[in-house]
Amino acid sequence: MSARVLICCGSGGVGKTTTSAALAIRLARSGARVAVLTIDPARRLADALSVGDIGNTAFLVPLPDLPPGASLHAMMLDSKRTFDDVVERFSGSSDARDRILRNHYYRFVSTRLAGSHEYMAMEKLYELSESGDYDIVVLDTPPSRHALDFLAAPEKMANLMDEGVMRWLVLPASRGGWRMIEKGSEILAKVLRTMLGDRTIMDIAEFFSAFQSLWEGFRQRSLDVRALLRSPDTRFLLVTTPAPGARAEALHFLDVLQRSKMPFGGFLINRCAVAPTRAGPPSFGPRPPAVSEADWKALVDALAAVPERRRGLVAAQDAAIAELRAHAPGAAPIWRIPEMDEEVHDLAGLDRVARHLPDHASLAEVRP
Amino acid sequence: MKLLDRRVVLVTGKGGVGKTTISALIALRAARAGKRVLLCETSGVTQVPALFRVAGRGYDPVEVAPRLHTLSITSEAAIEDYVVMQLHFRRLYKLVFRNRVVGPFIDAVPGLHDLIQLGKVFDLERTQLGGRPAWDLIVVDAPATGHGLTMLASPRAMMELTIAGPFHDNARDIAALFEDHARTALVLVSLPEDMPLKETEELYQRLGPLREAVHGLVLNEVHPAPVPDPALYRTLAPTLRERADEAGREALAIADAALLRTGRQDDARRRLQALGPKVVDVPFLYRRDLGPTDLSGLLPAVEAL
Repeated sequence: MSARVLICCGSGGVGKTTTSAALAIRLARSGARVAVLTIDPARRLADALSVGDIGNTAFLVPLPDLPPGASLHAMMLDSKRTFDDVVERFSGSSDARDRILRNHYYRFVSTRLAGSHEYMAMEKLYELSESGDYDIVVLDTPPSRHALDFLAAPEKMANLMDEGVMRWLVLPASRGGWRMIEKGSEILAKVLRTMLGDRTIMDIAEFFSAFQSLWEGFRQRSLDVRALLRSPDTRFLLVTTPAPGARAEALHFLDVLQRSKMPFGGFLINRCAVAPTRAGPPSFGPRPPAVSEADWKALVDALAAVPERRRGLVAAQDAAIAELRAHAPGAAPIWRIPEMDEEVHDLAGLDRVARHLPDHASLAEVRP
Repeated sequence: MKLLDRRVVLVTGKGGVGKTTISALIALRAARAGKRVLLCETSGVTQVPALFRVAGRGYDPVEVAPRLHTLSITSEAAIEDYVVMQLHFRRLYKLVFRNRVVGPFIDAVPGLHDLIQLGKVFDLERTQLGGRPAWDLIVVDAPATGHGLTMLASPRAMMELTIAGPFHDNARDIAALFEDHARTALVLVSLPEDMPLKETEELYQRLGPLREAVHGLVLNEVHPAPVPDPALYRTLAPTLRERADEAGREALAIADAALLRTGRQDDARRRLQALGPKVVDVPFLYRRDLGPTDLSGLLPAVEAL
């Protein structure tokens, strides 16, 4: 069975966007039709793929020498447009659609609030994976604190869409007052009105009232997305580095993945220092006559210390990786990406990273 | 105006750039200068007490160094706090927010969490003790760039959503504190790598009027040059490569890569300097668990902020 959805998680600053793009390249090079989606508001994937602007539609990445049938598309999420599309798709009538799109609260929810990105990323991920156009969809998630919201997004949406909540919120709009279902709910309504103001409550009630017609479609969709995240075809990959700064968030991430029972596929570890292979103190020949004795000694001493310092770094790094592995469920595989001499910002650079990443077959082998 | 003369310092930057460490350094520096300092974490992951090797976590301030306290502001606890303060009745909080019906709804208003966290900082700033402010300085380890910006914008966003009412008025008061450059300063943390730099540049542009609040930029995790005199090394490198044994050539290759990195660091510093506010370097320490000794060692680096 193939891994159809690959979700790259991790804290910011670990090269997640680059790694997701390189992974997508690796998978395309092994013959698959791949789409890579980033939900970060920053235009980082576009930069890494050097394709300029990516809109809400899939952009074909001009990757040379792909095997026949393989392809790579990249997309950056436009959450406002995705939200509008969703409303469009599930609206029973054009009247209901217009009422929603014009609603003050809707305009606010779909554009301004943090979190709507997460909801809509799930929606887009689902759409891409169901489109039949791709064998694999790679998702580059925003930094980890966001990514937690992202995991909870379908759940939150499903809860919000719970019929009880709907009925309760819609009541004032339909009956002209707050008639409550539960005991004590009059106080409750008073509290909400006090806090948010009457006008806001009316906006929200109007929004939910208009939303009623696309209710069932929306709720079903959020349940489908939730199922997709836990599907046997889905793998979560943790992108990190061995550096101390990434430690706390990587461990936190593993905890969250395990608690929410998401299928873990392994580690992609960026910027791994490579140990020197030659043992023994290095020698640099005799002192050139043009160099003073003191300068020469300072230089040679510094250079002689270089391999030893590197060994220390690699040891600390191995300890860091061992710690991560100990926190991971089962025998999670680890892919190490060596530190590159140059920063990666073009397709050639991404291809260099891609060489160190798993292909389709080795990812499909991982049993969470 | 000096950084430590502000009431609130917000530290933000891309995820993983070391915001927590830099926040701790600024807070520690202020505490050593005699101020009563509160360092607030906002990520939900408590890291500061461990940095000072002190046990404890949570919503109540813990003293981690002389005059330096820390707490972690989770939105859940802050919401409870806020509502109890507004309603003067804890039972009502439970009734409203733990309610099966309303709970999910409140949860699904995502910007609310950001605003409530900022609101908690706002309350802490106003807290009095013995006739004067309880804290001389509050340092906030704010969320990562994109989200940090959303958080800073959350009072205005809530004002727009609610139009009127107590929530609106509260949001207005909160906005007033964080938009007042005399009381609130921003410190942006970056790494000497292209993506974090781009994000810092973008953030700086997107801050709009808040740009004036940016007091300084931190270039974190700066590596030292591998040799004392890089210019001399570059002149001698061809000769050295010729005469070195295999271990020597390997050492030279590692040194070359390290020098490339030093060059990138210099470019990074110039890019940050081009933005305007002052830039300070904080050196890289390869340690799994930074501790109080490491922090003391790094303290001189933020003196210039």
